[in-house]
This record gives sequence, structure tokens and C-alpha cells, in this order.
Amino acid sequence: MFDSCLSTTACLQYFYWMNELDVLRDFIVKAYPLPAEALDALCTAWQPISCKRKTVLTAAGETEKYLYFVLEGVQRAFFLDDKKEATIVFTYPPSFAGVADSFLTQTPSLFFFETLTQSRMLRTSYRQMEELMEQYPEIQKMILHLTGFILKGVLLRQMELQCFSAEEKFRSLLRRSPHVLQLISHKYLASYLGVDASTFSKLLGTVKL
Amino acid sequence: MKSWKADELLEQLQEDVRSLIVQGKRLMHHEPAHLLQQPAPGGWSVAQVLTHLNAYSRYYHREMEKSLQKNKPARVTFKPGWLGNYFTNMMLPGAGGEVRNKMKAPKGYRPDPLPDAKEVVQEFLQHQQHLLQLLEKARGKNIGALRIPVSIAPLIRLKLGDTFRFLIAHEQRHFIQVHRILKQLGAGKQPAAA
Repeated sequence: MFDSCLSTTACLQYFYWMNELDVLRDFIVKAYPLPAEALDALCTAWQPISCKRKTVLTAAGETEKYLYFVLEGVQRAFFLDDKKEATIVFTYPPSFAGVADSFLTQTPSLFFFETLTQSRMLRTSYRQMEELMEQYPEIQKMILHLTGFILKGVLLRQMELQCFSAEEKFRSLLRRSPHVLQLISHKYLASYLGVDASTFSKLLGTVKL
Repeated sequence: MKSWKADELLEQLQEDVRSLIVQGKRLMHHEPAHLLQQPAPGGWSVAQVLTHLNAYSRYYHREMEKSLQKNKPARVTFKPGWLGNYFTNMMLPGAGGEVRNKMKAPKGYRPDPLPDAKEVVQEFLQHQQHLLQLLEKARGKNIGALRIPVSIAPLIRLKLGDTFRFLIAHEQRHFIQVHRILKQLGAGKQPAAA
């Protein structure tokens, strides 16, 4: 009976699946002290997904259905209209991802969300999050706590975009996240800083860090 | 014959449509004159290609909308029909992204040579947003039981799931053509993709 219910592959899959959930659990434990019961409930609400590079998971105009947790790969949210394209945010492991404002407000997204490299993620739906927050007020507090820090990061970047020169923006990015140079194609980094690709490569060549 | 989990197929198709939206939006970065320029005498301009796609969208989206009002609850598995497979495979580009067999658009689907380029792109984008909604609605329906009459041969009726596959493959095929046209025209003033 034992060998009929668990094949080797199923065992392996289970093993990987557990590992992936452990990564999520570990991340949450470090981010916010949740009581064990709420943490367990939160960790059961996720489904794994894999996608190829350049998969568009959310289009502008759609409402973000999912909150993602990145296990592997790089993604970006970007704005695109008749005249311009601008990278708003990058995500890479371990972190949450998706179009956060559209997810939280359940209103249409201004942004596209796409994978830049082959990606492996966990995701949960708004419905599931809503139920969890209702049942466990601590989870709601955690979301508020995390959203607060995200807002802090967003406002800091807003200040930098308005006040900093190209070189200052470049330095600040590399001070905060030096690894992105290896991780992300320079044309997207240039777009994130709002400088053109040639300015970016010039900065790369001249600025001493 | 390959069959799918219906919601996985619909999700895959939604990803394809979102990618078409991104490509369509980037076309707005080109000058209208550029979009109206024919790469060679008799060849279609980008605006003509999109006019052609818009004609299909107008017909099929209306029929799909009608059929999605019927009460046919969702099934887990979708099995494509042989005709649906045939049509879709005919449209799909080869593994290297090249278009294999050249085809001629049927009468009534050959575009006007000088449409308003920006309007045409706008209309294309509206159709794609609508198509995303149709795919979302279809998650609640049996896409193997609902059927759509084929535009050029209304007596032939394709499964709704196959109609989505065929329609989207047709658009992907033509976007390969769009990229080829822009390349032939020397891409002109395309701003750096960022």
C-alpha cells in the first residue's frame, strides 16, 4: 500500500514544494512576528507557478488578482502609453511581487507586470487574502506594516527622481542594491532611473563607487 | 489528441493577449506616416494589418459575447476539435517565429489602403482588452460545448475554446508580419525599448 500512494516523483515534488513554502515562511517570520496559527493559515494559501521569460501576467486596465512571492527570476512592473515606457519597480527573490496598488485597492492597474527572466513564484488571490485578514487580524496588521514600508520606499524614490541628477540616482541605486547590475539588463535599469541607455553606460564607465 | 485543463488554456491565452497589448501599445510610439507606409508595392502597411485584425475581432467578439450568455457551466478539461486544431496550426508560426505558409485574406477582410493609423491602433487595443474580458468570462463556461460560426463559412461552427486559440494565433501570426514590416522600413524613429 505504501508504494502505491507515493511514487518517487510525487515524493520529490512534495519535497520541493515544502522547500518553497519554507522560503516563504522564513521570509514572513523575519518580516513580522505572526502567531503560529496565523502563520500556518497564511502559508497554506499559496499555489506555485512557473513562467517563461517575458510573460505578461497583468496588463494595464486589468485588476491585479494575485499577490506573488518570488522564488526565482526577475520581474518588473512598467508603465506604457502612446509616448513613453517606464520601469516602475523590479522584483527578485525573496520578495512579494505583482501590481501592489491594484491588488490592495482592487481597481484597474495603470501598469503591466511581466517576467524578465524565467520565473518561479508562489501566488495567492485577493479573495484568499481577504478571508485571511478577516479571520486573523494579525495578518491584516502585518499587511499594514509591510505596506507602510513599501510606501516609505516609494516616497524615497519619488524624492530621488525629483531632486537627484542622473549621476546621483545612479549612485544611490548602486549603493542600495549593487547586485542589480549583474541581475538586470542595463536597458531596464536605465528605464528605472529615467535616463537613456547611452547616459547609463556612460555613468557605468565613469562613476567610481 | 492533446487536451488541456480549460482554465490553464484560458490563462495561457490571456498571457498571449497581454503580450499583444504590449506590442500594440508600442506601435503608438511610431509616427502615423510610418504605420501607413507600405514596405513594398502591394504589400500591407502596419495599419492595414491591424485593420484586417480589427475586422476579425469585430465579428468574433460579437459572436463570442452572444455565446457566453448561454448557460453552459464550466468543465475541467477542454478537448480541441480536429477542425479547431487544423485552423490554429495553420496560423501558428514555426518554432523559429517565422511564418510558414503565405495566405491570402478572404474578400471582405482586405483592408482599406489609407486608414487613420492611430485610430486603427486604438481600436486594436480596445479589442484586445475586450478579448481579455471574454477569456475571463469563459472561465465560468464550458468552452468545449459553446460553438461559434466561422466568419467566412457560417455553417461551420468551432468550439469556443478553439475559436479563442485560432483568433489569437491569427493575431500572433500578423504581429510577426508587423515586426517584419517595421524592420523593412528601417524601424525609423522607434524610441529605445525601455
